[in-house]
Parts: sequence; C-alpha cells; structure tokens
Amino acid sequence: MNEPRLIGLKLPFAMILVLLLQSSLLSEMRLGVVRPDAMVLLPITAGMLGGSERGAVVGFFAGILTDLFLQTPMGLSAVTYSVVGFAVGAMHTGVLRAAWWIGPVTAMAASAISVLLFVVIGAVVGVSHLIRPGLVVIVIGVAVINAPLSVAVSRLMAWAWPVEANHAFAR
Amino acid sequence: MAVYRRTSRPRYTLLLLILTSITLVTLDYRSDAGGAIAKVKGGARDAFAPLQSFAAAVFDPVANVVNGVLHYGDLEAENAHLREQLAEQRGQVARAQDAERERQALLDNQDLTFLPDIETISARVVGASASSLDLTAELDKGTHDGVVRGMPVAAGAGLVGRVIEVSRRRSIVVLVTDPSSNVGIRLASTGDTGVARGNGAGRSLSVELLEGASVAKVGEVVVTSGLQQSVFPPGIPVGLVKSKGYREGPERKGVTIVPVVDFARLTFVKILIWPGAGA
Repeated sequence: MNEPRLIGLKLPFAMILVLLLQSSLLSEMRLGVVRPDAMVLLPITAGMLGGSERGAVVGFFAGILTDLFLQTPMGLSAVTYSVVGFAVGAMHTGVLRAAWWIGPVTAMAASAISVLLFVVIGAVVGVSHLIRPGLVVIVIGVAVINAPLSVAVSRLMAWAWPVEANHAFAR
Repeated sequence: MAVYRRTSRPRYTLLLLILTSITLVTLDYRSDAGGAIAKVKGGARDAFAPLQSFAAAVFDPVANVVNGVLHYGDLEAENAHLREQLAEQRGQVARAQDAERERQALLDNQDLTFLPDIETISARVVGASASSLDLTAELDKGTHDGVVRGMPVAAGAGLVGRVIEVSRRRSIVVLVTDPSSNVGIRLASTGDTGVARGNGAGRSLSVELLEGASVAKVGEVVVTSGLQQSVFPPGIPVGLVKSKGYREGPERKGVTIVPVVDFARLTFVKILIWPGAGA
C-alpha cells in the first residue's frame, strides 16, 4: 500500500482511538471539575510536527468528530481546533524543536487558548452559557493536564502522519 | 510566483475550513431537533455505542485506579463523614417513622399525592461528556426503549436532569448543574417558588426566588415545583439550601443550593415518562 493511502487509514484510526480514550478513560479521570481534552492535542501536535496547513486540516476533522458527541453546535469545535492547529503550525518553524520541553509547554498554552477560543466563538454564535463561573479553573486545568498528555499524542500523530510522508502527499 | 503560492495555501485552507465550520454551525442552528445534523449526531452515537462500551469495559479498571490515587484524600474524608452521618441517621430513624405516620395521615385526609404515579425507564450511565464545558451524561437507552427528548431523569437521591438528545440506543441528559439548565423549584417549608440555574460542575445552583419576601432556611430541602406545563413533575428533591447570600437584584432574593445527587458517581438512573416532557 502506498504512503498517502496508508495515512488515509492511519489518521482516522488515530483520531477515533483518541476519541475513544477521551470518552471512556479520560472523561472519567477528572481532576476536580476538569477533564483532559485529548482531541485538541491532535491539531496541536499535527501543527507542531507538520506545519500550519496540517494543523488546520487535522483540527477540522478532529473538531467535527468531537462535535458529533457534544451538545454545542456542530462546527464549533471544528473552527476552534482548525484555528489552534493553524496557529501552532505557524509558530513551529525553527522554534518548537529547540528543546524537549517546548512541545509540552506549547501544548499547554495552545490548550488553554483553545478552551478560551471555544467559549468566545460559542458566545459569538449564541452559546452564551459557556461563559460560566469557574471558567478560569477549567482553562488552567485543561492546560496543565494536556501538557504531559501531549507527549503521547505527539507520538501517535508522528506515526499516523509522518513528516516525510507529508512531502510525498503534497506532490 | 511559486513562493507566493506555497506561503498562501495554508491560509486559504484555513479560510475554507473556517467557512465550512461556520456553515455547519448555521445549519445546526437552523435545523430543529429532528433535523439532518441531529440525525447525523444520533447515527454517530449509535454507531460508536458498541466501541464505547468495549472501551469502557477495557479502561474502567484503569480509570478507577487512577481516580483512587487522585482522590485518595477525598475518599478518606468522605468515609469519616459517612460514619458521622450514619450515627446521626440512627437517631433520626425513630423521628422519621413518627413523621411518616403523620404525613401519611395528612395525605389520606387531603387526598394529595406526594409524587404522581409516574412510569419510569431504568437506564445505566455509560459515559460522561468529553468536554469540561459540557455537563451531560450518556444513558444506554434511546428511542428504541421509549425515551423521548425532554423526559426528566432522576436518581435515588433526586433530580439528575433532562434528556436533550436521543438516538435509537442512547440518550444524552443535561445535568442540573450545567449553566444551560433551568429548573422550576419550590421551597419545601414555605412553598415559595423560583428557578434554579446551574453554575458548572462542583458548584452550587443559584436559585432566584419569585416571591420577594421568601425566607429560606439553610439546610432546607428544595424540590421541583411542577407548576403548570413544567417539564419536571412536582416534588423531586433538587438540593439543599446552602446559603442565602446570593442576590439576583434589588427586587429579587436568591439562595444557593447544593444538589442532592452526587453527579460524579452516577451509575443507574430512572427516566420519567412525564406528559410535560418535550414542553
């Protein structure tokens, strides 16, 4: 099987695997009122590994998959994750590979921004109840839990869509 | 020219993805509960149900171990608290028996029913929301079992929430603690009514009392009001008054209540077949 076709299988598999982990294992592992958000780590790590376009594309599909299981409007996670994946990818050039800790720290910051962006875009499209007491705790909590989790998701993303394969895919 | 195309393409891709997402948001808003997007969501939920059940069976022991480690201190404190409560309960049993006899006599005399004889569907909680911002629970019953959107859901201790989405085999309940949730309530002692709003996970509910002169006692039970066309039957315990400090405005008084249901440990619930569902 050629590489692009393999990615076409591996990437959805990776996304569904993370979704299953999120909905069964991670959603039960609450720290106070906060649950980890592994799905947003897919575009973040895709952006880190492969640049802004890959981050945005992975973000869109990971977001759609997430939206299927949330009560918020369909497309809200998709637009949030696309923007976050794009932004992380745009920053990645020459910076994120400088030291081992930059990846988790970027994932932490990007996770916090994604929660805030989700709430802000939600409020713009009329889902005002996302702005709530304790939002800051959720933002900080998701960011802190996502930082170590990003190491595992990064490995999965590197397997699902290797950087070299991206060039072959683009040809 | 080639350089220009290479640098611009990601931006165009992002723009396209944003436009597609916004179109989906718009379509979701414009479609009703039985619309195309709701059907897609329901279908996805049904398709994923076996996989989720399998994953839950595999990962539940892991989650339990991790939760045990993360919340060891809480469990110790809870144990001590439960022992204390048990001692108190023993003393209250005698008093309760007497009160029950009195209550039964009152009901017999006035031909009142504390709770209407409501049919229920038993369901198991099979999942929680994947997001910290979405306070819902997933149940293993759907339209196939007679569940309809809007049905109230209760646990042994009291009100859990309301079914907001239902597919063939699964249904989603929005918890009373979710900020999108509004429940018509009544103070057990005075009968004054109000509306309880969720403030997020682990937080008290804010109750806006409709009667300005209402006086609530700390620890008092708050139940569903069941007023005309209410989506909840009357008399289901919602919470206990925690404080009277909350103020809605100069004319309106408010209290905060602690939910009686422990949402972190929900396992089985009852879906109530109530005529007000879907109102």
